[in-house]
Amino acid sequence: MARAAVATRTYLAGPSLTRTGLVLGLGALLLVLALGAAVTLGSVGVGIGETAAILGHRLLGLPLTPTWTPAAETIIFELRLPRVLTSMLVGGGLAMAGTVFQALLRNPMADPYVIGTAAGASLGAILGILAPLLLPALAIGAGSAWLGLGAVQAAAFVGGLLTVLLVYRVARAGGRVPVVTLLLTGYAVSSVLAAGTALLMFSSGRALGAIFGWLMGSLAGASWPQLAFAAPLVLISFASLVVRWRVLNLLLLGDTQAMHMGIDVEREKRRLTMLATLATSAAVAISGTIGFVGLVVPHLLRLATGPDHRLLLPASVLYGAALLTLADLGARLAGGIPVGIVTALLGAPFFIWLLRRSGSMAAVP
Amino acid sequence: MPAQSRYCIRAPSHGAREPGRQPARDVQLPRVKGNGIIMASRLRLLFPVLLLSFALIACSASPGGGPVASPDASQPAYPLVLTDDAGRQVTLPARPQRIVSLAPSNTEIACVLDACDQVVGVTDFDDYPAGVASKQKVVIGAQVDVEKVVAADPDLILAAGNELTPSSVIRQLAGLGYPVLVLYPRDLHGVYADINLVGRALHAEEEAATVVAALTTREEIVAATVAGAERPRTLYEVAVYQGLIYTAGADSFLASLISTAGGAPVVGDALSTAIQLEALVTADPQLILLGDAAYDASITPASVASRSGWSGLTAVRDGRIVLVLDDLLITRPGPRIIDGLEALARAIHPELFS
Repeated sequence: MARAAVATRTYLAGPSLTRTGLVLGLGALLLVLALGAAVTLGSVGVGIGETAAILGHRLLGLPLTPTWTPAAETIIFELRLPRVLTSMLVGGGLAMAGTVFQALLRNPMADPYVIGTAAGASLGAILGILAPLLLPALAIGAGSAWLGLGAVQAAAFVGGLLTVLLVYRVARAGGRVPVVTLLLTGYAVSSVLAAGTALLMFSSGRALGAIFGWLMGSLAGASWPQLAFAAPLVLISFASLVVRWRVLNLLLLGDTQAMHMGIDVEREKRRLTMLATLATSAAVAISGTIGFVGLVVPHLLRLATGPDHRLLLPASVLYGAALLTLADLGARLAGGIPVGIVTALLGAPFFIWLLRRSGSMAAVP
Repeated sequence: MPAQSRYCIRAPSHGAREPGRQPARDVQLPRVKGNGIIMASRLRLLFPVLLLSFALIACSASPGGGPVASPDASQPAYPLVLTDDAGRQVTLPARPQRIVSLAPSNTEIACVLDACDQVVGVTDFDDYPAGVASKQKVVIGAQVDVEKVVAADPDLILAAGNELTPSSVIRQLAGLGYPVLVLYPRDLHGVYADINLVGRALHAEEEAATVVAALTTREEIVAATVAGAERPRTLYEVAVYQGLIYTAGADSFLASLISTAGGAPVVGDALSTAIQLEALVTADPQLILLGDAAYDASITPASVASRSGWSGLTAVRDGRIVLVLDDLLITRPGPRIIDGLEALARAIHPELFS
């Protein structure tokens, strides 16, 4: 009991200002460096001065006489910049959602996809990819866009949201949603959807490559309209979650403890789940199911800063954004391989090293 | 290998001919085929509309994908609006000078229309005609490098349908303002239509008509040669993987090509193009063509005969298993597809082509 009381006091008071400033400042610096590197480097060489001039011209309206080719301007402003900003949005959104789910479910294996978002979004996306091939009448409409989204992105977004709503509904018993039931229901529903996904992949013929690329996660299709769709959803979700840091801290103590501290546990769990799912679905819709970022970034930060969500939530956004941006840069320079391969290949060994160095799992919820 | 070489088939020697330099002997076959009648009835239905928008129609490009050159060939009607094989409207502001091809078949179509010099971007799979392999590669390992496409500064992009060019890439490039023409032929006539479509895009309608007329003649010769002959049930093996046999899908290009070549295709599922062994045994092919032998030397008539469950097939018992080393010609829907058709017809009816 005494331990819980001490912990509660720290959770409510928040971390020291110096540490907060250090962690967030370092994250912001890392993010800016990642942004600069990712916009400047790519499969086609555009000089750093030229890049800066193009960005200054287009973003700040500097009255520069174009010394660059229109192709270079398109590459920097229409391909790389939206792609880099998308990687930041997706990386930040997934890391934030992972932080929330790990606290909410009190489970170190939780990631943004754990209660069905990925399985639902994948099935939706694959149906979106295959529908024009199965029903040629739809093919004419497939090129059209809705809110800047193609059919695939829209189907993935809706699929992710609907699945979590279904899982939440099924897991509810007597007005309560026990965390373990939620996890297991998510697992079971995901398995059913994954079977549907596998069945469709098996019979997908030529479209298998497109499906596989989507499942691995890729930022290659990033564009301003897609970013304009996903960014508000992720930002609204972030703003609503970051003010709930106290709730997340208290939920770490367990549902009963949190209820005794005056939290409407069921209502808060429902809200947190939906907010995190909103961000996850928006991110997945425009990038596919990129793994690892949402699982590992929260753990890395917990190991480094402790479990206080007032610092953890904004820090996870910054570091998740920087990590995915650098990983996507690596993926692009490696000839356009799926970014999920890079995050896992480089991130996992680093994570293991950090785990062994810290010598304990104490920071894990 | 020597024991099998008599089974091997090769494209006829004129298959190696440089496209775009068609010899005069096989050109200028008039294409009638009742097209005029269909056009006329369509026009009658459209008559009131035509009257209302007469001025607009009068100054637009000639309708339809027919091989007929526009009446005033010296004055191309740019900006030109074309409808591609995905049903998309594509606007070309001027005659394209820089073409990026996202599929080898598209490159071959551009080159057969004498536009090889304008092709500034190709795939790493491009190998024909000679010289295209040294062009800038914008598709590497089946991945479209969009930055490289943009850097090539194209004014026409020739994409492929059926997710060969991912639809996300098509949407992205079209969203950047590039004219993207999706070519997705479903049969030989689809290839002819695509050659004519690219011909219209490049204002090379006459070249396209000449090429299509020559190809049509050769198709008709094949069709006439195999007409009336028995049509053996033919399995074209694309790949065998994990117990599934991948072959021509139902209603696919390959299935229609086998029909034209005088065979009765044994088809797999329309989407996955796979057929299970039990269904294959039921279909009982009389002839097996090994398209995968072009890429895997371990696939031989002997290895096929020794597969479990295959020994009872009529084709295996009769020893009619043929290596097809011209798989690229048969499966690449470009102007050399007729070479592929002829190779197929020789494999299916060796007795008719001596």
